[in-house]
This record gives sequence, structure tokens and C-alpha cells, in this order.
Amino acid sequence: MAEGLSLKNITKRFGNFTALNNVSFDIKPGEFVTLLGPSGCGKTTLLRIIAGFLEPDEGEVWFGDQKMNDVPPHKRNTAMCFQSYALFPHKTVYENIRFGLRMRKVPASQHRALVEEAMAMVNLTGLEDRKPYELSGGQQQRVALARSVVVRPNILLFDEPLSNLDAKLREKVRVEIRDLQRKLGITAIYVTHDQSEALAISDTIISMNQGAIIQKSDPRTIYDRPVSKFIADFIGTANLVPCTVTRQQGSLFQVQSPYGMLLAEDKDFPHDSGEYYLCIRPEDVRPVLDGEPAGEDNILEGVVKNSIYMGNTLDLFARVQTEPLRASVWKDYHIEEGTRIRFAVPRSKIRILEG
Amino acid sequence: MKTARKKRKFEWGYLLLLPGLGYILFFLAGATGMMIAQSFGLFNYTAESRFSLEYWKGILNETFVDDLLYSLKIAVCASLLCICIAYPLALIIKKLPGERTILSLVKIPMFIPALVASLLILNIIDYHGILNIILVRLQIIEEPLRLRNDSWGVAALLIQAWKNIPFMLIIMYSAVEAVRRDVIDAARNLGAGRLAVFTQIIVPLTLPSALVSVILVFIRVFNDYVISKTAGPLYPNTISNLMHVTAYLYNDWPSAACIGCLMVITAVSFVSVYNYLSKKLLQNL
Repeated sequence: MAEGLSLKNITKRFGNFTALNNVSFDIKPGEFVTLLGPSGCGKTTLLRIIAGFLEPDEGEVWFGDQKMNDVPPHKRNTAMCFQSYALFPHKTVYENIRFGLRMRKVPASQHRALVEEAMAMVNLTGLEDRKPYELSGGQQQRVALARSVVVRPNILLFDEPLSNLDAKLREKVRVEIRDLQRKLGITAIYVTHDQSEALAISDTIISMNQGAIIQKSDPRTIYDRPVSKFIADFIGTANLVPCTVTRQQGSLFQVQSPYGMLLAEDKDFPHDSGEYYLCIRPEDVRPVLDGEPAGEDNILEGVVKNSIYMGNTLDLFARVQTEPLRASVWKDYHIEEGTRIRFAVPRSKIRILEG
Repeated sequence: MKTARKKRKFEWGYLLLLPGLGYILFFLAGATGMMIAQSFGLFNYTAESRFSLEYWKGILNETFVDDLLYSLKIAVCASLLCICIAYPLALIIKKLPGERTILSLVKIPMFIPALVASLLILNIIDYHGILNIILVRLQIIEEPLRLRNDSWGVAALLIQAWKNIPFMLIIMYSAVEAVRRDVIDAARNLGAGRLAVFTQIIVPLTLPSALVSVILVFIRVFNDYVISKTAGPLYPNTISNLMHVTAYLYNDWPSAACIGCLMVITAVSFVSVYNYLSKKLLQNL
């Protein structure tokens, strides 16, 4: 049974260092939630508190309607996938996966069927008798995954499980994790510092920095409508420059920035005027060739300093007035370095953020 | 299809091994060969050198058997006593604050020569030693206990333990420390309580080191000369002592060589059987 989870005012200190500062959130049953943030932001500490390896100094951990603070890790029905896989080196693949069943006193007659089912789910069939050191990194990760799901936990915990795999395999396994979690309907909490992984895998992303939650929302919202400069910078790439903002009417703002005078449409921005930051995603910048109409879009005129062909896109590093502007444009453009060029940025794609 | 037959070229690089390998071969093979030859009456320092089987015929006497059994007994007892103390100690020290300091203090006996250690401990357990004086003064016993050169070898056993526990502790401590934290966490997370973590994870992962350290201490004690000489029983004593007495007191070098051969054979066969059994044990874990 999937179970929801609530954290209430969790604070954790290590000596003078506050790893988590009054963190609260709720997770719905069956939801896939990612804790995303730079290293040292407290995301792994939070995961270890949920698993029960650490006790919070203040605050409460609830699984469903049960308070878990005083429940030791082995009595919490969670299952964790570790960054290092943490397979038992002396046990075979089969025994590794069976371990949780034995510990949870599942009748021995059911073990073989359950282990085989879990192994089939992660495409490991046939490797029962191997020892962990005889497996590749990807296979070890699958064993860890099978070992976690075989016990049918209420909550699956992932601690950067893919960071030791190469890029191709990482993309493959994260889809498999997502499928498996959906199929079993288990609540999952996934810790990562890789923003693309977080965007690809989650229902909800909880973005953290310095022991606090900055934003909790679905991947699309967190990418398109970040609430702070930190998130805009951390998730994806962004052109961030200081600016002076004046509200024109409704959600239309006049923005005085190093790029020049721009118009921005931002429904979420609450203030009427002041000193803030503007954020433009590189992929929202489009080159305007001679004679092409720009419509209502903002026009930024600059010189291309570097033009880098990435295969799927063409990355331009331009200078507008004195400020660098990064643009990620359609791959078939041929834009040489040193070209004077006009860029168009739609009003709705300029976001105003607090520092 | 081309045949895979290739002319094997002599690798001159192997000659680089000579300084190390040559040294070992010369002294190991040379000394062993010399010992075997002497046991058949050749290279005899104290009498005429000629080939003879009489030394081998005379060697399996009562003294030899007694000494062999005593050596085996003291070696088995000492290695078991050591592991019984060192294994739990390694686990406990791991949990204590200031483990580094404790560990370096515990290592001290390793730097004290066996003879010095032996005499130091004898001072404590001697007939007029500290222990006996205290026990008599406290009127717990009337007569001082005879603890050194006792017929069973208690004193020798105690000194062996004192000397070898630190050696074992270093091996066991690094074994305990090598058990990764996240593996233990994974076990707890999957439902293992303290006892299950110990029996399912810590013991199986440290057992190979325990088995190796037991056999290392076994060999050290089995081959011991000094500690048994000073604190062990007058009769029987270790094989090393018998060998020494035979060679230097009776001037019977060929017989001493026979004893040496048998000592090596016993040790090697004991280790082989032990290794075979421990491999079986580890496989079935």
C-alpha cells in the first residue's frame, strides 16, 4: 500500500551547522517526489531522517496517520536505493534480493516466487547466482532496485541512485525506475543534484538550498516559473541580470536592464516596482534575420562572440550592450562568430525574480 | 585458418625479479634442502657425514610426540583465546569515542620483544610475584600459586595471549572498519535489527579476516621458542625447544633436522587442512 508522508517543522543541526531549518511538506500516496539541490543543501540528511537513520532535533515525521519519530529504521516500511548500491558483497544476487523478505518474516515458501518476480521486473533473470562484484554498475543498480521493491515498501527512497552510471545508462534506468514506481504505485522520494534527472522523473520537485525549501512544484512550473534567482540559475541555464521594474498595467512590466528597455509579461510577480532580476532562458531567445518581422517581441541587438554547434542546438554566446546573453537556437542556423545580430524575446518569456 | 602456434620468446624482463626472488629461493630452498639432507645424515657437523635412515627411525619417540602434542595444544588454545578476546574487542573499540588512541595503546605489546614480555609477566605471576603476594596478603590463598613453568602451560598461554592479541586486533579492527556504513544501513532499512545486522552482515564480512588471523597466530605460537623456554612447563615443551636441545645439548644435528622437517610438515598440513575447511565454511555462509 502506498502511503503519504508528512514532514512537520523538521530541524537538524550538526554542531553549529544547521543542515535543515524548519522544513515541512506533504507528499501524496503514490507521488514521485524529487529533492533537488546543490551538495550540502540538506537533501540527503532529509532522506536519512525519513529512513530513520538520523533523528531530527525538532519536528515530526508522519507516514500516513502514524507518527514515526520513535520508530527505528528496521520497523519503518521504507526501502532505500543507495548511491553506492550498498549490496551485500558476500551474498549472491538472489540472496541480496531475498534478504528483506527474510528480515520481514515473509513465509519462506513465497520467497522464490517474489524474488523471481522482482528480478524479472528489472531484467535480471538468469543472474541469480552471481556475486555483486561479478556485475556491471548498471546491473548492480538493478539488483539494488529489485531488493528495494521486493519487500513492497510503503515508501521508496532513492539517494542519488544513478550518479555512478554513465550518461546513456542513466537516462535508460531513470525511465525504468519511473515505470516501476508507477506500476507498483509506491510513493517515491528521490534525491538528486542533477536537474535534468529531476525534471524527467518527478511528479513534484522540491528544490532546496541551505537547509530550506525554496520551491515545491511540478517540473514544468519549476522550470518555466521559478520563484527565485537561485532556482532559475540551478535548474537549467538562464540569463540573469539585475533590472529596475515598473508595472505598466495588469501583468505588463517595463524593465530597465543592461540589455536595454524591455517589456515583460509576468502574472506571478507581486510587486509594482523596484530593483529585481530578470531571467531569460536561452531557448526562448530567437534570432531575427533581416526583413523578418518581430511583432510584439522585445528586440535585443548584439554581437555573437562564440557560436558553438552542439548537434541538437546551436549555442550562441553574444554580447548585448555590455552584458553577455546566451541563446540556444535551432541547429540549422549558420551564424558565424562576430556577426551583428538581432534577437527576439517574447514578453511572456521574461520572468522577473527576487534576489 | 592460421595456427595459433607462436614461438615463445624468452622474456628478459623476468630477470628483474632476480634480486627479490633469488634471495628468497636461495635462502628458503637452500635452507630447506640443507635441512632435508642433514636429516639423512649428510652435512653432519658433529659426526661423520654419510647417508643413513637411522635418524628418522629414532625420531618418533615419546618425547617427540609429547612435545608435538604440547605445541599443537598451546597453539590451538592461544589462537582461540586470542580470537575470543580480539574479535569482540575490535567491535567494541569501533564504537568507543577516541578509538584511535585506544588502538595505539593496545598496540604497545607488539613493540615489546617476546623475551621481555615473558619476563615482565613472570614478575607478576611468579611464586613471589605481585599477584601471589596480593592474594596471600588478602588471605584469599594460604600458599602462593605455582603459575610459571606449570605442567599445563598456563603461564605460557597467558603470555602468548598478551603478545598476540594486539597483532590480531589490528587485523580484526581493519576488518570491522572495512564493513561499509551504507551496507549496514541497507540491512537496517530492509528490516534487520541489531542482532540480524551482526549475524547477517558483520560476522560474514569479517569472518575471513578472523580465520586468517587465527592461523597466523597459530603458526606464531606453534613455532615459539622463547616464551615456552622461560614460562612454559619443563616437560613437555615446544618442538622448537626440543630441536634446540637436540642440536646444541646432545650435539645431534641430524635428529634436530628431522624434528625441523616434521615441524614444517605438521605446520603446512595443519594450515592446508585449515584453509580447506575455512574455504568450505565461507562458501556455505
